[in-house]
Amino acid sequence: MAEVLAGAVPAGTAAGRREVSRSRAVRRFKWIILLPLLLTLFSLLIPVLLLQLYFSFHQWTVYLSSWWNADFVAFDIFASVFTDPRFGWALLRSLAFAGGSTIGCFVFGFLLAYLIYRPFRGQALYYALFILPMLTVPIVIAYTGQMLLDRSGPLNGILSRLSGHDVQVLWLSNPDIALLTVTLLDIWNWTPFSFIIMLAGLASLPKEPIEAAQILGASSWRIFLEVQLPLLRPVILLALILRFLDAMGAFPIIWALLQGGPGTATETLGIYIYITTWQDFNVSLGAAQSYITMVMMVVIVLGAIQLLRKEKRSLDQMYAKPAEAGEAG
Amino acid sequence: MTRSQRRHAAAAVRYAALTLWALIVAFPLYWMVSTSFKPSDQWFSWPPVWFPSPPTLENYRDVWLGTTSVAAGGQYAMEMQTPFLALRNTLLLAFGATTLAVLYGSIIAYGVSRYRLLSEVRMFQLLMLRMVPPIVIVAPLSLYYSYIGLLDSMFGLGVLYFLSSLPYAVWMTKSFIDEVPREVEQAAEILGASRWRTIFEVVLPLIRSGLVATFMFILILNWSEYLLALILSKTHVVTLPVELSKYEGSTEGRLFGRQAALSVGITVPLMIVGILIRKHLARGFSFGMVRR
Repeated sequence: MAEVLAGAVPAGTAAGRREVSRSRAVRRFKWIILLPLLLTLFSLLIPVLLLQLYFSFHQWTVYLSSWWNADFVAFDIFASVFTDPRFGWALLRSLAFAGGSTIGCFVFGFLLAYLIYRPFRGQALYYALFILPMLTVPIVIAYTGQMLLDRSGPLNGILSRLSGHDVQVLWLSNPDIALLTVTLLDIWNWTPFSFIIMLAGLASLPKEPIEAAQILGASSWRIFLEVQLPLLRPVILLALILRFLDAMGAFPIIWALLQGGPGTATETLGIYIYITTWQDFNVSLGAAQSYITMVMMVVIVLGAIQLLRKEKRSLDQMYAKPAEAGEAG
Repeated sequence: MTRSQRRHAAAAVRYAALTLWALIVAFPLYWMVSTSFKPSDQWFSWPPVWFPSPPTLENYRDVWLGTTSVAAGGQYAMEMQTPFLALRNTLLLAFGATTLAVLYGSIIAYGVSRYRLLSEVRMFQLLMLRMVPPIVIVAPLSLYYSYIGLLDSMFGLGVLYFLSSLPYAVWMTKSFIDEVPREVEQAAEILGASRWRTIFEVVLPLIRSGLVATFMFILILNWSEYLLALILSKTHVVTLPVELSKYEGSTEGRLFGRQAALSVGITVPLMIVGILIRKHLARGFSFGMVRR
């Protein structure tokens, strides 16, 4: 294959010149493709990140006039974020919300996928119904949730009928359960995500090892634990990682429903940054909070990417057709 | 228990579990639809009104035709605009940004698939455009936008929708392009077609159904976006999700029926699109890493 490489072809020959001009054309082709993306990114992200840094180091609120004359305060703003217990609580709430939603979605999604993945009558109908929450606009879920979860709303109505006496749970205004309520709403919203990923994983499992285990007389529970589960590992990790990252950035449902309240009961990082910047108009503090959150998220995402890269390779092997695999080997 | 009895019992348990979940999924959606047909005195009452009686189209008429309803309270309802402007904005933004993202994304995907335009690491770094939540940069972004005159403009919001859906577009179309055998392009190349002609006249037509699926998938995401639209638009570029929150905070309480009527209007098109591409949703949400 060495002849294909431009450098290996003796320069000066006709074939060599053609090869060089071809590789030059390919390089130009690549640059033309990438140029619009690079231009957009540089003109948008660089100024924004610089502004964010500027405001994190200069004390400015919208009540002061010109932002470019703001006082330089070194690390004061960062220090006040790090010593702010409210920020720490917001971080914990974000993690609890994202963790709870990830686990909840995964448990329900995997269970449903396992119940549905073998063909049976009504399969298509259940599938179509189960994916609907994911196709609902989050803000609509928030407002519908507000009606459902009201003190005299239908959820308490159903619970009252089932239990036989008046149940009036304050789903939204009790600070002890408000975070749980929004987490449950998020689980309702995104269980379809874990469901479709796990369903696709189950559907693409190779038949041979399962059949072999059946012939050997293994129970379906043992087949699940010892054959299917190990084979599903990359798909499971994918479902968990992508859901967690998405839930860390969750905003619409919590904001539209509770604005972080009651009190600060549902104030996650995103909500706290929003309140600091757009309700208290403390742009500098908001910038420092966002900066720290951004660095944290970038670290988390980079870690997640490392995990995903490994799992993608095993997934690609799984989807590679046997013929191609034979060729490559 | 005999073997066949056990199988019947298992099937019954399965149907019971699936039906229970189906009810959990369907009930909130049912409540949204039924509220949209309820007259205002039935929006909230204890015990709850399970079926609108009598069902009324009043909410739909109020939302889309802007006629005031006495029951909903005169003066506030008069101030409400019809959501046609928001509908127009959402349609333009979602379709525009999605078209651009799919078109450009598929060209990048082709470059990656055939010319290693981006290394594996770069491809994963591209995902950061989606995975780092926008709230962490949206404050300086809105200042920058107001400085360069892009605040509250279709272009400013559209660029962000384009950028944030690009990772999905690249990854998803790449998973389709990877499945196209290279022999087809080599044949086109031998016949003298340029690289661009090969892309537009050979490769993209071959993955037509994949492009449509990608388009619809990204359309769903851009259609429902809330945070950026909330912060970066003031009065001109109001989108449907932001418009919906306007039914909040009036003195005579929330106009739940109207809000539900608009919710139905926002949601039903998305559900239709999503069910049309149901087989591709796993591929979309997993950036093409999981396929069916």
